[in-house]
Amino acid sequence: MQNFKNRLVIVTVILGIAFLVLASRLWYLQVLRGDEFEEFSLDNRIRIERVPAPRGRILDRFGRELVVNRPSFDVYALPDEIQEVEGLSISIAEVLGLEPSVIEEKLISAKKISRFMPVLLAKDINRDQLAYIEARKSTLPGLIVEVNNLRKYPRGKLGASFLGYIGKVSKDELKKNPKINSNDLVGKSGIEKNWQSYLRGEDGFIQNVTDALGRGVDSTLFAKDLTNKKSVSGNDVILTVDIDLQSAAEEALGEEAGSIVALDVNTGEVLALASNPTFNPEDFIKGIDSKTWTELINDKSYPLLNRSTQGVYAPGSVFKVVPVVAGLREGVVDPDTLVNCPGRYKLGRNTFRCWKRDGHGWVNLRLAVVQSCDVYFYKLAEKLGIDRFSEYMKLFGFGSPTGIGIEERAGVSPSREWKLKKFNKPWYRGETVISAIGQGYVGTTPIQIAVMTAAVANGGAILKPNIVRKIKTREGETLVQNSAQVVGTIPLKDDMIAFLQDALIGVVNDPGGTGRRARIEGYTVAGKTGTAQVVSLDYQSDQKIHKDHAWFISYAPAEAPEIAVIVLVEHGGKGGAVAAPLAKQIIEIYKKLKETRDLDDNV
Amino acid sequence: MIMFDRRLLVGFGWSLFFMTIAFSCLALLNLYSASYETGLASFKKQLVWVGIGIVSMILISFINYRILKRYSLYIYGLSILLLIYVLFFGKDVSGSSSWIQVGSLGTIQPSEFIKISLILALARFYDNDFQQGPYGFLDLIKPACLVALPLALVMMQPDLGTALTIILISGSIVLFMGVRKHSVAFILIALLALSYPAWNFFLKPYQQDRIKTFLDPSRDPLDAGYNAIQSQIAVGSGRIIGKGFKAGSQSQLRFIPAQQTDFAFSVLAEEWGFLGGIFALLLYFMIILWILDTSGRSRDKFSMLVSFGIAAMFFWHVLVNVGMVVGLLPVTGVPLLIFSYGGSSTLTAFIGIGIVLGIRMRKFSMSAEAIDLR
Repeated sequence: MQNFKNRLVIVTVILGIAFLVLASRLWYLQVLRGDEFEEFSLDNRIRIERVPAPRGRILDRFGRELVVNRPSFDVYALPDEIQEVEGLSISIAEVLGLEPSVIEEKLISAKKISRFMPVLLAKDINRDQLAYIEARKSTLPGLIVEVNNLRKYPRGKLGASFLGYIGKVSKDELKKNPKINSNDLVGKSGIEKNWQSYLRGEDGFIQNVTDALGRGVDSTLFAKDLTNKKSVSGNDVILTVDIDLQSAAEEALGEEAGSIVALDVNTGEVLALASNPTFNPEDFIKGIDSKTWTELINDKSYPLLNRSTQGVYAPGSVFKVVPVVAGLREGVVDPDTLVNCPGRYKLGRNTFRCWKRDGHGWVNLRLAVVQSCDVYFYKLAEKLGIDRFSEYMKLFGFGSPTGIGIEERAGVSPSREWKLKKFNKPWYRGETVISAIGQGYVGTTPIQIAVMTAAVANGGAILKPNIVRKIKTREGETLVQNSAQVVGTIPLKDDMIAFLQDALIGVVNDPGGTGRRARIEGYTVAGKTGTAQVVSLDYQSDQKIHKDHAWFISYAPAEAPEIAVIVLVEHGGKGGAVAAPLAKQIIEIYKKLKETRDLDDNV
Repeated sequence: MIMFDRRLLVGFGWSLFFMTIAFSCLALLNLYSASYETGLASFKKQLVWVGIGIVSMILISFINYRILKRYSLYIYGLSILLLIYVLFFGKDVSGSSSWIQVGSLGTIQPSEFIKISLILALARFYDNDFQQGPYGFLDLIKPACLVALPLALVMMQPDLGTALTIILISGSIVLFMGVRKHSVAFILIALLALSYPAWNFFLKPYQQDRIKTFLDPSRDPLDAGYNAIQSQIAVGSGRIIGKGFKAGSQSQLRFIPAQQTDFAFSVLAEEWGFLGGIFALLLYFMIILWILDTSGRSRDKFSMLVSFGIAAMFFWHVLVNVGMVVGLLPVTGVPLLIFSYGGSSTLTAFIGIGIVLGIRMRKFSMSAEAIDLR
């Protein structure tokens, strides 16, 4: 037996070692790595439920709602509480307008993942559907109706081109901003995109304790410090736009493709920014379906393009304001300089025509503006030279974005360096002369032309246009307040600016003026017509169109200017015939609105 | 046969008795918490089983172990018959037919009781064998048959956990009695050679999965490996003093599967922390030490081997079960005796303790009685 006693000692030692190993493992797990495992166990049981923040509203300058939120009633099913999948799918399918088999499949596949995670059956059901479900809640266990926010456009398509649209967040956007949830709808264009950070708000969250099956647990026993965070509503963006004027501008354009811009000449505030054709933002509120999206991006009429800021056009004769200013400042011309217009201008082997074939005869600078004599400007530009000329183009802001606050294009302000860089070719003199009448390489957006017009109207201040007036929190605290910002000055003495203004008044009010159709009885309108020659493909017939873009720039009242109205009608024909009447229409409505409205337009 | 000798009461193993009672109370307390969410049904059943267990333990302690020795082969035979019975008429629970329905208490599992029967049978074999010194391969054929019969029947159910404990317990006894070195080598080689067909033909896919998952827990974190990971999270997150009674989030919120049975120790370690876990392990260690001490004081081979076998049974259960709970060993489905919910395993444990108590209190009268019987 002694033999066995010795063996028992060995056995006891083995026993001791085994228990020591188990105890050490407990020490390792519970003491050394305890905090780490506590984190894991917290992760296990705490589910974070996101509370999405309502997006901020977009209002017009008088606080009228352009983009707001509306509740969307979404129907979810809890697979766990639905005993008879078949029965439920049939009773609910009809009212939701879905196939019973679709609901059944959704429920069955969801049950495999977790029986306690709600499955989305239908988004944004209508009032009747909601009433049906609410009335039968007791007979339809396991159905949940959740309220979410969707964008709502009380004014429909009005202003869509600058308000923009929303869409599912892209992977790039997610990378840039980790705060965004992968299911979020974010601004994709216009105000919605460019002011996204203000509109978004801050999502809140609710921490819940759930068991291993994902079921919510009521008990607070398993989590001592659950934190909840309320969502913070997005901020309201208050625009400078007057929606009544916007409406007038869009109506004026009608079916025509083009743009109408109205600026407050003293502040640079955008009062109207119409672009046609446009899109329906309603199509985007739940994330656009791919069919509609494909149609929109393949549409040759470019409905997603905001022509007022992204359309680059040859400005035609409305551009003549620039060589006038340059010529006067550089001493190339003075108001009395006379030029004989025989209807054409020879430069080397090239001949440049005036729009008036027979010519204007002897004209001074004022008459050249009023009757839009091209030959006068050919000669002026020839004397000025492209180097000096392009300095003035840049001074007015051509070739650069204006900073209006939504996406825009820079356009082209041609110069020797620009051409060398772009085409690796020298500048030709002929290119200078056609630049003076807004043709050739010159490319401008309507908003740039509007800034130029406003500068002449207000006596020389080149302003940064603004479309956003203020940003306020939901509680009313002002976060952003835009005010007039002068970015440059027309370098002319007051009498010379007055001369230019008088010439523009003549365009509308003189008997031979090209802008006679913008004349308003008892209210002086100043303006300038433009007819830009273009060759482009017609999006409907795929044939080349030779019909010119019709331009008209104007401001009123000429004695104490308030508003600048710029009209562009793509392939509209003559500026004086097509664009000027539209400008007149807008100015008349502006005048009427102003008379009926309290002059103090603070929000 | 049952002798109410005053010396018996004096020699009664009060410390083992009270340690066992204390451990049962700890187990019930733990089960109360683990079954609280589901309405205490298993707690109430286990309460009855522990009662039956304690009564059985006391009664068995009064039976002279020599009577057990005399009837050991009958007990063994009866157990084998029960194992055969369940193969044909057993109740299917989660893929293995190892249960017999007994009234309202639920089911019993004959494969648990076979452990005791086998210990008694092996002890009797070695007791009758007068050989001194290490056993050779041929000498081991008879005990090997004693082991192989129930092992094969248990594997056929199939019940991998019990099969493993049968091998471990009988292996311990055989090794304790000594085996010639070259025979050990031969047996190891034979086992290795047999492991290939065993893996391919005897192990069910889910059992293969469990072993594979043990070797690489990240292989399947949502299914088989899930148990191992969640159990470690439970144990670890208990930290030093635990989350408190009924406050173990891992167990109460059902992240630990089988928290009342195989993973009962996770619940303890989560709710009572390192202190609770060490306390339970220490108690278990003391119980086994005490049984081994009884084995050491025995004056005949049978009682020594029976005590040793029962100590081995407790030892392997705690090592394999707690080893699994703390992630040192694969998930095998071996319960922690007394601690895990389950009538059969609890009753088996109490019967084992009862036999040891019976041996302990008769050690003083041993020589005199031994002379009598011879």
